[in-house]
Amino acid sequence: MPPDHLLDDYVDPYDDPAARGHRHGPLRVGLGGPVGSGKTALAAALCRTLGAELDLAVVTNDIYTTEDADFLRRNAVLPDDRIEAVQTGCCPHTAIRDDITANLDAVELLESRHPGLELVLVESGGDNLTASFSYGLVDVQIFVVDVAGGDKVPRKGGPGVTASDLLVVNKTDLAPLVGADLDVMRRDAGAVRAGKPTLLISLREDPAATEVAGWVRQQLRSRAAQHA
Amino acid sequence: MRTLVEVVARAGPGGRTVLPVVRASGQLAVRRTGPSTVHLVATAFGPLGGDDAEVRLVVEAGARLAVRTVAAAVVLPARGESPPSVQRVRAEVAGSLDLRAEPTVVTRGAHHHALLHAQLDDDAELTATEQVQLGRVGEEPGRWTGTTRVERAGTPLLHTTVGLGPGAPAWLPPVAPRAYASTVHAGAALARATGEDAVRLPLERGWVATAWGDRLAPTLGRLALLEGAAPVEEAQ
Amino acid sequence: MTAALLTLADSRLPAGGHTHSGGVEQAIAAGIVHDPRSLEVFLRRRLTTAGSTAAGLAAAACRAAGRDEPRRASLARLDAEADARTPSPALRQASRQQGRGLVRVGRRAWPTAAWDDLPPHPHHPLALGVAAAAAGLGPADAAQAAAYLSITGSATAAQRLLAMDPITVATVTARLAAEVDAVGAGADQAAAGGPAPTDGEPGPAWLPAGTDPLLDLLAEVHADRDDRYFAS
Ligand SMILES: Nc1nc2c(ncn2[C@@H]2O[C@H](COP(=O)(O)OP(=O)(O)OP(=O)(O)O)[C@@H](O)[C@H]2O)c(=O)[nH]1
Ligand SMILES: [Mg+2]
Repeated sequence: MPPDHLLDDYVDPYDDPAARGHRHGPLRVGLGGPVGSGKTALAAALCRTLGAELDLAVVTNDIYTTEDADFLRRNAVLPDDRIEAVQTGCCPHTAIRDDITANLDAVELLESRHPGLELVLVESGGDNLTASFSYGLVDVQIFVVDVAGGDKVPRKGGPGVTASDLLVVNKTDLAPLVGADLDVMRRDAGAVRAGKPTLLISLREDPAATEVAGWVRQQLRSRAAQHA
Repeated sequence: MRTLVEVVARAGPGGRTVLPVVRASGQLAVRRTGPSTVHLVATAFGPLGGDDAEVRLVVEAGARLAVRTVAAAVVLPARGESPPSVQRVRAEVAGSLDLRAEPTVVTRGAHHHALLHAQLDDDAELTATEQVQLGRVGEEPGRWTGTTRVERAGTPLLHTTVGLGPGAPAWLPPVAPRAYASTVHAGAALARATGEDAVRLPLERGWVATAWGDRLAPTLGRLALLEGAAPVEEAQ
Repeated sequence: MTAALLTLADSRLPAGGHTHSGGVEQAIAAGIVHDPRSLEVFLRRRLTTAGSTAAGLAAAACRAAGRDEPRRASLARLDAEADARTPSPALRQASRQQGRGLVRVGRRAWPTAAWDDLPPHPHHPLALGVAAAAAGLGPADAAQAAAYLSITGSATAAQRLLAMDPITVATVTARLAAEVDAVGAGADQAAAGGPAPTDGEPGPAWLPAGTDPLLDLLAEVHADRDDRYFAS
């Protein structure tokens, strides 16, 4: 072990910035959820809606290709140098939960490139209902599911559904087509989420993701208040 | 058997190079074959297992030196348990050194160590090519271990050891090359390039290109592509 | 002490290793690795070249970290030695990425002043050497960890990519144990100042420099792909 005097200059090893809830730098928002639920669509919507008022950037965790990053570039919601894609070694949930190194590298790269950054969205690779972000990587996380998976999804639970800071049930426009009962989804989510918010939205009908953007603004405000 | 070759190249009048020291003892002779070119000539068969040859080259500022050999070196094992043969090239370069020996052919049962240690001044130039064939035609391959260390102004630029032949790490199927060629250049930068069984990697103000395969001639052809030069004539 | 070594070599240590395949993703794409036997060959190839080089550097860095002066200069010199032994830009980046990841966790897990003497994005073996010293381990342990880590990441990556039987892959790595030990021990000796085989001059300049041009080529081709699971 190093002699004690060497420790004097160092921060407490157990001092976990995430747990303290006042990490410096931009607010990091995780976007998790199953494949195809609308994570990239939501990221694009948030970029469009918040891009004018906030200095923001996105990290994507594509599983194999750079599809998501390319989508954001193609749709020109963000300039190239504000999008970073990381490889996750076939294990998207490991990269956001168990070993977040590659994502931290990407966030830090974006921070160094854009010193005034206020918001970083981290989109996870599409995974399953058990995947959630480590709070070592993000400050708050949004879990995105869609109605097409059936109205049983909130009831099935899993850390993403129960513990995320915001649950988004997307594609409500499809509910009649797939026979999903939105009231059941709202009620089940409420039952397992211990008071944490759930939003039922359709990015098709509201491409600005107005409600989710409002929630993100509120997160930024409450963090600013904490820092003050 | 110990062999020692020493050559010093110095800037002479009118931008020419003079060679104040050109001497050799042991199994190599050294001939001046041009104003700034020397050829090394083997005076015996081999090298043989256990042989030790050292080539010391000094190229002073403003001087140029090209070192060639007259024929392929055929490395033979000593009788019984053959120890490796060793060839060390130590170069101190402030001017420009161009080193290109004919191929080294390592015969069955032989193990040859080749070392190039070049210490360059900040604006020195170096081009050094190594060509290796394991085994003569139809013969089992021998072993070759090559270490290249190039330093510029005291900082290491490149340091690699490549082992080839039975028992060497890079001698494992399905990629077990019997032919190998590599050029390191310090002077002007070239970007990274990849080819079939060939790769060129950038160094600071330089590059290193390597190609491998079954036979030396096509290997040299692939290397030449990465050197940005026309393919060299077929080696024996 | 053993527990510290096990922690350092544990694939669960969150230092970013899981996103690197050590060349195996491209080796699979090139048809060089396709079954347990070809995986074993690949791992041995990697162990005795890149693994031995990393082990020598890790042992030397551990030594340097244990001395107070001139630690910063020694580590900077070793970082330059690592660069010289890693001419492939893709492999340099992979090594520095993993070095940075290890510094991030190492700094908190084993705080020591030596971390501040590392260059900002050190090569992975240097970070490993410093971590070993900080955890109270010696150069031989650092070399051992480096040798071991040179194959485990590739083994796991191959298992995922080829959907191999994990027990088979564990068997392949277990069977290489003696070779891993030998590579670690040899590299540690070199770092302790043993003479280089063809040279006789001790010192960091003559640490192992095993290179496999095939791995360089695979790494460069891999870096050009935009459809890959692994960062390297
Ligand atoms: N009908 C409908 N389709 C939507 C809605 N939101 C997104 N989509 C579509 O759903 C598909 C998947 O959306 P993405 O945003 O790529 O989903 P993702 O979660 O990022 O997917 P992965 O990254 O592959 O896991 C796309 O074709 C979107 O156009 C919505 O509200 N309604
Ligand atoms: Mg997506």
